[in-house]
Amino acid sequence: MLSRMADSLYWLSRYVERADNLARILDTAQRMAGLPSNYAGSTNEWESVISTAASTAAFSAQFDEVTRANVLHFIVGSQANPSSILSCIATARNNARSVRTAITSEMWETLNDAWNETRTADVRAMSPSDLSRFLAMVKEMSLRFDGAAYRTMLRTDHFWFQRLGTYIERADNMARLLDVKYHVLLPRQELVGGSLDYFQWASLLRSVNALTSFHWVYRESLQPWLVADFLILRSEQPRSLVSCYKEINEYLDQISDAYGRQGASQRRARATLARLGNANIDRIFQAGLHEFLEEFIADNNELGRNISQQYLS
Amino acid sequence: MRIRIRHETSYAYASPARSALQFLRLMPRSSDGQFVRRWRVEVDVDARLDRSMDAYGNITHLIFIDGPIERLHIVAEGDVHTRDMGGVVSGTLERLPLAFYLRGTALTHASEPIRLFARRHLTAEGGDVLAAMHALNSSLFQDMAFDVSATSASTTASEAFARKEGVCQDFAHILIAAARSIGAPARYVSGYFMRTDRDDQEAGHAWAEVHVDGLGWIGFDPAHGMCITDQHVRVAVGADYCDAAPVRGAQVGGYDEQLGVNIAVTQGQQIVEG
Repeated sequence: MLSRMADSLYWLSRYVERADNLARILDTAQRMAGLPSNYAGSTNEWESVISTAASTAAFSAQFDEVTRANVLHFIVGSQANPSSILSCIATARNNARSVRTAITSEMWETLNDAWNETRTADVRAMSPSDLSRFLAMVKEMSLRFDGAAYRTMLRTDHFWFQRLGTYIERADNMARLLDVKYHVLLPRQELVGGSLDYFQWASLLRSVNALTSFHWVYRESLQPWLVADFLILRSEQPRSLVSCYKEINEYLDQISDAYGRQGASQRRARATLARLGNANIDRIFQAGLHEFLEEFIADNNELGRNISQQYLS
Repeated sequence: MRIRIRHETSYAYASPARSALQFLRLMPRSSDGQFVRRWRVEVDVDARLDRSMDAYGNITHLIFIDGPIERLHIVAEGDVHTRDMGGVVSGTLERLPLAFYLRGTALTHASEPIRLFARRHLTAEGGDVLAAMHALNSSLFQDMAFDVSATSASTTASEAFARKEGVCQDFAHILIAAARSIGAPARYVSGYFMRTDRDDQEAGHAWAEVHVDGLGWIGFDPAHGMCITDQHVRVAVGADYCDAAPVRGAQVGGYDEQLGVNIAVTQGQQIVEG
């Protein structure tokens, strides 16, 4: 396979996954913003959307104030923001078009339909219920795309690179979401393990579709360290960092088996999974969750660079 | 290097056992130097197989079998990717404080000759623990005879050291006793060694890990006179053999037990690095 093709497949999935995550974050923010402030706390939900999307600098270059309208414009529709939902869908579709023969028609149609339906979306005119409908459509696109890929793609390097993109992006988003929420929720160090705002933690879990499953796994009330344990270390949770890295390793191993070569990507992914597998949430909190997540995000980015160097260029 | 391991343990009883209990430490964990790509543990009779973790962090399986049992066959099998880390063992699950590994056990009690042996090397290396451990490691390799019939599973470090012969387990016990006697935390490791001369082996391998300040745990293999390499696969650690033994068991009824062990450690698909 040409590295250009691998590159398109990989980034195609990253952008679909990114759009999905942005939709989930916005959905949660809207829900939180609708709560009375003594439930939701005094934090500005829209601000945390911007920091979760890692675009504080780009946002403040364009806007003076963090308001619902500005954030929606920036995260949903801005052409100037390459990671806005509409930009993600457009970029994903462009990548898909350039490797049209390497993906199945179901995958292509999903992306093309989503692009057609969203490109005329007028963010400024969106009422809260319009926004909910729009976000539901974005999430549906990613579900359909993922399902189509899983059900229809031939299990060759095309599939493996497509999957790699999904999980690298998911791991990055999960870690950043947890990092931002952790700071918002526990602004002072001594509060770790202290009082807990049920709605905030519940909303974090809800944004990754994990509120019900949390109670299935733990059968107890929401505790900050259990939420972190669930989203970092539990392999039952399909979006947890450890689950993402199991998948990443699986596909990197398939690729190295098929090509008969392995390199920095495999080494780094294996080391990260081994570390996650031997970690324990108490010790992570002792050493600092923020430091742990920061290191993870840097490591995950480095893996992305390793993959680019090894396969995509 | 990719290493493929198949470890079979079989029991046969002349008169069937009523029930049996087997405790296995047959599942490796991933760390910086090794990545467990695929691993499974299987039993060929109807049994309850509970996976858990012991105090050291080893993955354990407990098998309960309701008899009557005439035969039992346990297979642990999988693929592990290894990397040569120059003997350094990092990224492992550590559940116990270092001081725990300074404590002697019945099998690793340091007799006066072992203490003397350790101190002599430490003095010769000017008090450098790491250099002393390397020297002790090669000296055991040179002076001890490897003899599978000389010792048993219950031979202590002191006995083996006095007789200057033993198997990898005895070599490891002596090195552990020596290290602890000069104040270095040390532990027993059971695992596999990929030999280049043959695939089939009668037993797994064992070596020692010594904690050196500033470097962390270092794997020393006195039976081969070297530090661990990408030919070693770590499975379980413990204070001595008893705590890291791959298979331990008991049964009710059933006499004339026949135990068979067959281990194959081979190199898997060749993969170019880079």
